[in-house]
Amino acid sequence: MPRLEEVTTLDGHIDPVWCVSWSPSGSLLATCSGDKTIRIWGKEGEKWICKTVLTDGHTRTVRYVTWSPCGRYLASASFDATVVIWSRKEGEFESIATLEGHENEVKAVTWASSGSLIATCSRDKSVWIWEVTEDEEFECASVMSSHSQDVKHVIWHPNKEILASCSYDDTIKLYKEDNDDWTCFQTLASHDSTVWKICFDQSGSRLASCSDDKTVKIWQEYLPGNEEGVVTHGTNSVWKCVCTLSGYHERAVYDINWNHVTGHLVTACGDDSIRVFGEDAESNKNEPKFSLMTVINHAHSQDVNSVSWNPKIPNLLASCSDDNQVKLWRYVE
Amino acid sequence: MASHFSGALQLTDLDDYITPSQECIKPVKVERRPGKVGKIRIEDDGSYFQVSEIGEEKKLEKAKITLNDCLACSGCITSAETVLITQQSQDELYKVLEQNKIAMQNGNTEERKLVVVSIAPQCRASLAVKYNLTLQQTARKLTAFLKNLGVDHVFDTNFSRNFSLLESCREFVSRYRERENNKTALPMLASACPGWICYAEKTHGSYVLPYISTTKSPQQIMGSLVKEYFGKLKGQRPDQVYHVTVMPCFDKKLEASRSDFYSDVFSTRDVDCVITSGEVEKMLEKEGINLADVSEMSLDTILSNVFGEELVGHDGGGSGGYLEHIIKYAAKELFDLELQNIEYNVLRNKDFQEVVIEKDGQVLLKMALAYGFRNIQNIVQKIKRKKCQYHFVEIMACPSGCTNGGGQIRNDPDETANERLTRVNELYKSEKTISPFDHADVKRIYDEWLNGTDSEKSNSLLHTQYHEVEKMTNALNIKW
Repeated sequence: MPRLEEVTTLDGHIDPVWCVSWSPSGSLLATCSGDKTIRIWGKEGEKWICKTVLTDGHTRTVRYVTWSPCGRYLASASFDATVVIWSRKEGEFESIATLEGHENEVKAVTWASSGSLIATCSRDKSVWIWEVTEDEEFECASVMSSHSQDVKHVIWHPNKEILASCSYDDTIKLYKEDNDDWTCFQTLASHDSTVWKICFDQSGSRLASCSDDKTVKIWQEYLPGNEEGVVTHGTNSVWKCVCTLSGYHERAVYDINWNHVTGHLVTACGDDSIRVFGEDAESNKNEPKFSLMTVINHAHSQDVNSVSWNPKIPNLLASCSDDNQVKLWRYVE
Repeated sequence: MASHFSGALQLTDLDDYITPSQECIKPVKVERRPGKVGKIRIEDDGSYFQVSEIGEEKKLEKAKITLNDCLACSGCITSAETVLITQQSQDELYKVLEQNKIAMQNGNTEERKLVVVSIAPQCRASLAVKYNLTLQQTARKLTAFLKNLGVDHVFDTNFSRNFSLLESCREFVSRYRERENNKTALPMLASACPGWICYAEKTHGSYVLPYISTTKSPQQIMGSLVKEYFGKLKGQRPDQVYHVTVMPCFDKKLEASRSDFYSDVFSTRDVDCVITSGEVEKMLEKEGINLADVSEMSLDTILSNVFGEELVGHDGGGSGGYLEHIIKYAAKELFDLELQNIEYNVLRNKDFQEVVIEKDGQVLLKMALAYGFRNIQNIVQKIKRKKCQYHFVEIMACPSGCTNGGGQIRNDPDETANERLTRVNELYKSEKTISPFDHADVKRIYDEWLNGTDSEKSNSLLHTQYHEVEKMTNALNIKW
C-alpha cells in the first residue's frame, strides 16, 4: 500500500503558515506566515534547516510566496495590499520592487513561464497582469474585474500565455490577450462554493480545482476541431469538467498540487489531513478515473493550508498548517 | 445588477461578502430625543412606529443616504447606483417638466422653472450613429425633441469646454514656471474626468491630489455659465433655473453632486441633473419617437459652440483635446515654437500615448495620454515614486476615452462594441474645429462677466478643489 512517511518538521514560524513553495531546482523551500515573515529552508548535509528569514517586506500576513521560473526571484503577496519582488544573489535576498495598486489583501502572485509577466489577485475582486521591463521595473499591463467576489488564486498555464483564476464567487475564469488588452474567454462554473485553488497538469491540457464544497474537479481542454466534437468558438479552446472527486474530504479543500512527474494529485484539507490521488490505468481523458492512494489523518494538528510536490524529487512533499508548522513527507509506493 | 461606472470606480467597492444594500457602512446621524424609548412597531408597509410607554405613536423617519454622503465615504461606491437612479435620471427631468405644466395651468408663473439642457458632443456622436444622422442633424433634432417636451433652451458643452481648455493652458504654463519652487507643480494631471478624480480622492489622496489641475470640467463650467451668467440675462435666480446635462458617462452624476458645486445661498446645484446618452435613448423610446423622424429646429446659439449656423468642436480627440491644446500653447508661450501637427506615439497599448517636443536634441515638453485603469495605475505609481517624467498627462478613466463612456448607447446586435466605437469616433472627428483662443463670444464673456482672464472672479468660477477621503478601517472587514 502506498503511504506518506514524515521526513521532518520545520519549526520557526510563530503564526499559521499559509503557503509552501519549492524553488525550480527543488533545493530551496519558501514558506510564509501570519507572522509577516518569509522563511527559506534548505538542506545542510542530511538536515533541513532555515537558511534565511525575510522580515521587513510586509506589514501584515504574507499569504502567498512563489519563485520565478529562473529561480533568481521570489514574489510574496500580502494582506498589506502589496506584492514584493525579492532578488536572490549569492544566497542573500534583497527586495527590489513593491507592486502597489491592489485596493486590499493580495491573495496570490504567479510568474508566467516566460518570466516576463506576473499575475496577482486580491480581495478587491480584480486580477492584475504586470509586465517585467528590461530594467527590472514592473508595469501594470491589465486590470481585469471579471469576478464578482474575492479572487482566491491565480495561476499561469505551464507553456501558453493563458491565465486562470478562481474565486469566492464559486467560478474559475480563463484569460488571454486579445486586441491590445487581456480578456476573460471562459468561465468554468460547477463548484457549489468558494474555489480555493487551481493547478495545471504537466501538459497544460488539464486543470484541477479544489473547493469549499469539499470536492476536487478535473477540467479537460478541448481545442478547436477536437475529435470528440466539443463545440468551440473561434481560436479559443473550451474547458469542460470531466471528473468530480467527492466523498473523500470532510471539510473544505484548501490546496491542490499536481505532480508533473508522477501525475499524482495531493490535497490540503480543513480536516487536518493530506490525501494523494492517482489516475487509474484504464482512465481516459474524457472520463478520467482517480483513486485515493493514501491519506494521512491528522497530518497536522489544525487545518492544512498548502501542499506542494518537489519538482526534482518527485516523491518529496511539503505541507504547512494553522498549527504554525511546516512538514516534509516522503511518498512511498 | 451590472455596474455602469467606469472601471476606476468599480474597483473601489470594498466589501465582498455582503450585498450592496447591506454593505453601506456610512454612519447616519440620528436625532435623539430626550425621554425613555418605548417599543418600535413595524407596519405591513414597512414603516416604523415608535410607541412610547404611555401609548403615544410616532412615525419614524427613514435613514437616507445621499450622493453626497457616498462621495464623502471611503467605503463602497457602486452601491450608490440605486441612490443615483432615484436622484439623477430622466424621470427627474420629466418630473420638473410636469411641475412646470401644473404651475402654468394654475397660473403660478412664479413657480415655473426655466429648464436648460446642455449636451456633450460625445453624446451627439453616439446618438447620431444610433439613428444614422449627421452631427448637425442630431443637434437640431435633439433641440426640437427636448423643446417639444417643454425644455426652454438647449446648449452645447463644447462652448464651456473653450473655457476649460483656456484655463488648462494658462494653468499649465504658470505651473511650469513655478516648477523649481513648487515640487507638486508638475506633472499636471487632467481634471475633466470625474471617475479619475473620485478614484484619486478615495485611494491616493494627498500625494496625487496636488498634481491635479484645478480647472473645472466643461460640465461644471457650463453649470456656472447657465446658473450665474445665463440666469442673470433671463432675470432668474440660480434656483429658478433647472439645469440638466447630457453626458457620455455615469460618473458625471457624482461630479454634479459634489458639495463644491452646490450653492448654499440658493440651495441649488450648478448642474441639477445629469442624464446619459443611453437615458436620452430611453426617453425617445418612452415617447415612441425615432429621432430621425423629428423635424429639425434651429440651435440656441448663445451658449453653444457655433460658427455661423454650424456646431464646431475642438482638435485633439474624443476626450476634449487637453494635451493637444496645452502642448501647442506651452510650446508657443515658453519656447516660442509654433507646432502644427502633433505626433502621438503609441507606447504600451493604444490607450497610452506620448508626445515629445524636442529642440536641438533636448526634450522641451513631454506629455502623455493615459486612458483606462491600467494606464492610470502606472502614472500614479510613478508619481508616488517621484519618477514621472511627464509635464502633463491627460488622464481618463475609460479605456479609449470619453467617446467610449459608460453612458453611451450600446452597439446594435449586428456589430461589435469596437465597430460601434470606431463609427462614433469617426463621426466625432468629422466635426469642424475652432481654437478656443479665437472664439469671439468666449472673449466677450471673459471681458464682460469674468472681469478678464486671471481675475478673482474667473479663478473662483472656473476653478475648483479636491478633497482627500480618509480611509475607514474596520476590523470586521478582514477576510482570509
